[in-house]
Amino acid sequence: MKPASGMILVFLAVLGLGSLEFDAAFAQDEDPTGAEAAADSLDDGMTDIERAMAAARDPDQAGHVQQATETDEPFFKSMTNVPKAGALANVRQNTFYADWVTTIKFQKNSMFKNTFKMSTEDYRKQDKSVQKKDNTFTYGLGSNLPFVMSLDGSWNWSEDRTTNTAGFANLSARDQKRAGLNAMKTNFKTGFLNNTVKMSARSMDNASINQNQRNDFKESAIDGGFQTDMAIADGVRIAGRLYGMTLSGDRLLGTKTEDSSANGDTVGLGIYYSRNIANGRVAITRSSFEKKYLDFKKNANGLIDTVGVDEDDKVVTELETNDAISYELENNFRFGRFGVETRLTRQSNDLDFAQSGVGLRQREQDVMDLAFTFAAGRDSFAVGYDYLWKWDDQRYKNATENRGKQVNKARDYEIRYFRDLFKRTKLNLRYHEGLSQDIAQAAPGQDRPNENDKDRHQTDISARLDRTWVGKFRASMVFAYQNVQDFNIRESRSSNNNIKDSYELSPGYAWTISPWLSLDQSYRVYIQYTDFSYDDLESVNREDDYNKRGNLATKVVIDPTSRLNITLRHDYNKRFSATKSDIDASGNIFYHRDLNQTINKIELILRFVAVQGVTLEASTYRTRDNRETFGERNTITENFSGEMWVGTTVRRRWFQKNPLELSAMVRKYNAFGPSITETSSDYWEADIWLKWEF
Amino acid sequence: MNSGLFGKMPHRRGLLLASWLVVGTVMLSGCLFEPREPEPPGTGIKIEYLPRSAPANVWTNLEKSLFATHAPGWEDNISQIEFRYIPDDEARDQFPPNTFVGWDRPREVTYINNFYNSNVTIIAKMTEDGYVFPPATGNEMTVEDIVYDLTVTNNIDGSSVRYRGKCDVIFRLEGNFWYIYEWRDLQGESDPDSGQLLNTMGVLRGTFGSQ
Repeated sequence: MKPASGMILVFLAVLGLGSLEFDAAFAQDEDPTGAEAAADSLDDGMTDIERAMAAARDPDQAGHVQQATETDEPFFKSMTNVPKAGALANVRQNTFYADWVTTIKFQKNSMFKNTFKMSTEDYRKQDKSVQKKDNTFTYGLGSNLPFVMSLDGSWNWSEDRTTNTAGFANLSARDQKRAGLNAMKTNFKTGFLNNTVKMSARSMDNASINQNQRNDFKESAIDGGFQTDMAIADGVRIAGRLYGMTLSGDRLLGTKTEDSSANGDTVGLGIYYSRNIANGRVAITRSSFEKKYLDFKKNANGLIDTVGVDEDDKVVTELETNDAISYELENNFRFGRFGVETRLTRQSNDLDFAQSGVGLRQREQDVMDLAFTFAAGRDSFAVGYDYLWKWDDQRYKNATENRGKQVNKARDYEIRYFRDLFKRTKLNLRYHEGLSQDIAQAAPGQDRPNENDKDRHQTDISARLDRTWVGKFRASMVFAYQNVQDFNIRESRSSNNNIKDSYELSPGYAWTISPWLSLDQSYRVYIQYTDFSYDDLESVNREDDYNKRGNLATKVVIDPTSRLNITLRHDYNKRFSATKSDIDASGNIFYHRDLNQTINKIELILRFVAVQGVTLEASTYRTRDNRETFGERNTITENFSGEMWVGTTVRRRWFQKNPLELSAMVRKYNAFGPSITETSSDYWEADIWLKWEF
Repeated sequence: MNSGLFGKMPHRRGLLLASWLVVGTVMLSGCLFEPREPEPPGTGIKIEYLPRSAPANVWTNLEKSLFATHAPGWEDNISQIEFRYIPDDEARDQFPPNTFVGWDRPREVTYINNFYNSNVTIIAKMTEDGYVFPPATGNEMTVEDIVYDLTVTNNIDGSSVRYRGKCDVIFRLEGNFWYIYEWRDLQGESDPDSGQLLNTMGVLRGTFGSQ
């Protein structure tokens, strides 16, 4: 694929999204030299319609559409039906479902695909049932036309009946129909310009009800976009893009009917380069929209608030406008073993509501990410610095002043060092320091901002050593230290200010004793000291404390035959907690032990392949928890908990032509313990389906 | 042949050494970033959180955090490693698709800070009268059918909205402390006074988590 077409694909994907997710104010531009981004856009995340359009544009890339090799190929090439029925069960719900997918392929990569789905869900713990029916079709005209064109449509129907604890029964139902037409022409040249044009039209008819309030709408939308790019030097391209949409229709909310509309546009300009030692981009995007629709009355927080409001005033005609602009500079520089990556962005956004108490909300965000890398022989070195500055402000409806900016400022500095110490022995060192600050600014006329100013300062130091004897033995040792300072700045919040120091030491190894036996063991010692900043004040009822924990985890895997797999796990935990009780004249600190706890958990997992495609499985664990607390009254408690499940997994496929496929996983669970309720003590888990393709 | 970090001193070794010197100077010079000097606690004002030695204490700490609109109290009680929130269907359907997809700790922290910074007064009751938490045991515990109730009053316009929901919560032991690992809202519950069906905190998360 040509580099420019990568950008165009991404651009079109953005346009496609833009028509549906119109609120995405910070539309991003993409790199015309970035084939990777284009590949991403063809990933499985595509909708059917995008896939059909991609297939028509580039059948090889879409994968599932055959290349037309004959010009005299038949009009009708194939039809495939795939009915599927299945059941799902777990601790929460039972679901029965059926799907039917029909795919018809015509000449010149033209394809029709229809997917029908229905399901019924019955909840085990709640008085709730959900029924759904969906039908979706897409029809891509392939290369029949000199441009790409497709039709799509869907019907979604659902009914959710829930009765809550107080016996209130609610029906939430929806019946929605959509139809759309998409067309685009990519990569056509006009002189030295490389262009892409896209247009789509869409119609929606929605009827829904929830808590006896109707929410219906019938709307039609049309949108279009144009992008052009040109080379201005070797490896340097400039691209501009324009997008616009309009929507109109009628809405019914509660008892009020009103016409609705939306208009929006996006304009973007970018310069993209990829030359020898550097690549990157500079881009600017501006977008805006205006939407008129019915909405429930909302308060200054944007929350629906209709309590005590007259029926006629519960629904308002809202007018929402948004203006956003973003700037982006990205540069990746590599010279030999040096690498420098730079990314600078600024995004700002104004969102205004005519009726909602929210009023005007303004936001701005600046980001700077810098990274430096260097490799020399067995050593490699990376330094990163990230900076974030963002604020939001709001002018409530009918207010004359803004409420004051709420600023978040964050800085992070990180160093990583890697070295091959000896043969198959690696050292990894890391140092990180970060400061995140919430800074509230007072509104004009106020002497004090809100009380939530706070700083969090964090330092991390860690060292990791790994040694590997290939196929036999692997050992590691980790040391980590962390210091966290949580400071609330205002007097009304600062009583809990504290500094935590944590130390961790974790040696471990994995030993393949023989092809059928392996042993994996890790030990972890962890200790954390908490120092409350104001524990010496009488008004602060906090005392310094420490917590220790030792953990030994052992795992043995046995494969006595190729069909049998046995896994044994043991987890041993020992915990202590203590609180500072006294300090003597020499400064020695004395602690009072609060808790001794020992938790033992043993687990056994068995897997046996009975015949090809049929696996019998079983698993069980048991936990013993001994807990001793010290205080005015010492208490000792001992709790047992456990679980066992047995099950089978079946995966079978019959017939080469018109294959019939069965997949079944069934497990029966039984559990006990202090927190196990009736529904979770005895239940089935299943995922069973049968599929036929003809 | 490599002869160690400081053995031979070819050009690249010199550069590496120079890099270490720069970085080492920065590290040895002390903190790069300094937090601000906090104000000492005011008299009579304190939030007494319970030790996170049991899931019940963790849940109670959320109530204290809500009362005081004190975000660190919330952040300290949700998992420091991995957190997830799953909304009830009703709350999920009130927001654009994907609003709650991948709701993790950073999203939860954003939500609670935006919520508390929005000039609200909160009255919270995180369990119903008579609800008893099971005793803390093992490394992970699921506590089911917790019904919480909170009233959020906006200090700007004086409007008051009540939220009441039923949820399942998974608590996990991390280090020596219990944290909330998963919060799953099941359904909205009725206002005990008016009988009106109320929303869960999923609506608050959807509103403030995406700002």
